[in-house]
Amino acid sequence: MSQGEGPATDNPVAYISHHLQPLQYGDGFWQINVDTMFFSTLIMLGVMWVAYKVGKNVSVGAPTGAQNILETLIDFVNGLVKEAFPKPNKIVGPLGLTIFVWVFLMNAMDLIPVDLLPKAAEMMGIVGQDGKYALKVVPTTDPHTTFAMALTVFAICVYYNVKNKGLGGYFKSFLVHPFGIALAPINFVLTMVEEIAKPLSLALRLFGNMFTGELVFLLIAILPWYIIPIPGSMWAIFHILVITLQAFIFMVLTIMYISLASEESH
Amino acid sequence: MNITATLFGQMITFVIFVWFIKAYLWEPLTSAMDERTNKIADGLASAELGEKRIDEANIEYNRIVDEAKSKASDVITMANQQSSNIIGEAKTISKKEADKIIALSNQQIGQDLNIAKDTLRKDISRIAISCAEKIIKAEINEEKHKAIFDEALKELK
Repeated sequence: MSQGEGPATDNPVAYISHHLQPLQYGDGFWQINVDTMFFSTLIMLGVMWVAYKVGKNVSVGAPTGAQNILETLIDFVNGLVKEAFPKPNKIVGPLGLTIFVWVFLMNAMDLIPVDLLPKAAEMMGIVGQDGKYALKVVPTTDPHTTFAMALTVFAICVYYNVKNKGLGGYFKSFLVHPFGIALAPINFVLTMVEEIAKPLSLALRLFGNMFTGELVFLLIAILPWYIIPIPGSMWAIFHILVITLQAFIFMVLTIMYISLASEESH
Repeated sequence: MNITATLFGQMITFVIFVWFIKAYLWEPLTSAMDERTNKIADGLASAELGEKRIDEANIEYNRIVDEAKSKASDVITMANQQSSNIIGEAKTISKKEADKIIALSNQQIGQDLNIAKDTLRKDISRIAISCAEKIIKAEINEEKHKAIFDEALKELK
């Protein structure tokens, strides 16, 4: 260990693995990732507060400020929904908007310098089980978050499948697609994989992108301080694109999956 | 990743979040946007209607003005005709009247002339008689020439 180079460069492996360590309490099933829950809920409350304010003071005349921005967003999401859904659907619009805003803001936590919040938490005495700082500020780098959303979307898909095709019709679609009833066992396996792949890919895509993004920030952070600004800022600028794109992809795929589930059996 | 309470916590959070956004943001804003769309559509429709009404009013205005013009010229023509009629009538009436007056005065003149003639004749005959009387008084007596006078007077009767 050399002196004066800062903690990041002293022991890069320990630095990175610490940063990837969530702040956890409890054991077994009741293990709670406090950092994930805290930041995602904090963002949710912030968005709720803005939403409540705008929703309460909504004006039919010329919109101003936050209402303008949110109306643009709603129009954008509604456009996608109307393209995908032949008949109006009351859930999918708000669902898509919530996913986009929430995922975008959770991803955006990635742009806060990697050491800032963990160190601040450590100073306040919030530390991991080994007594050192442990705080993951980007909830989407925790698979719990991405899987929670993907599984909820999956549950909504199943609900719409059963609602539109009937329980029997939904089960039948497993047997007859894509090769017809003669190859029912193969169809069943294929459709099963297809269905399970949907939430899995949804969750893992977001998690993977954000996790690697965070990892690259950490790798940049172990460079000497006078080199950091160049790759750091470049990656941050590029990451703005990733953040937005991942939020958009999650929303669009959700809308597409639910639209597929809403189709009548044919 | 283990299946832990975090996953379910996040799911619950997500569901609440979606419900909240739907109830407090999506629905009021989309209904406001729909309302605005309707308002704008109504406004445009009424603007179009107003424009149409202006066109209609212009047409109506032109029609009324044309009608008034033609009516006015009709009135003028009629008035001209009427006045010439009246003048003609007045001419004939005054001609008749004048003729009547002339005839009457001619008649009067004739009468006056006759009266004057009559008077003159009477005066002349009276003067002649008185002259004759004076002459006769001076030369002959009444008895002598009574038969001549009687005869003359008989002739006058």
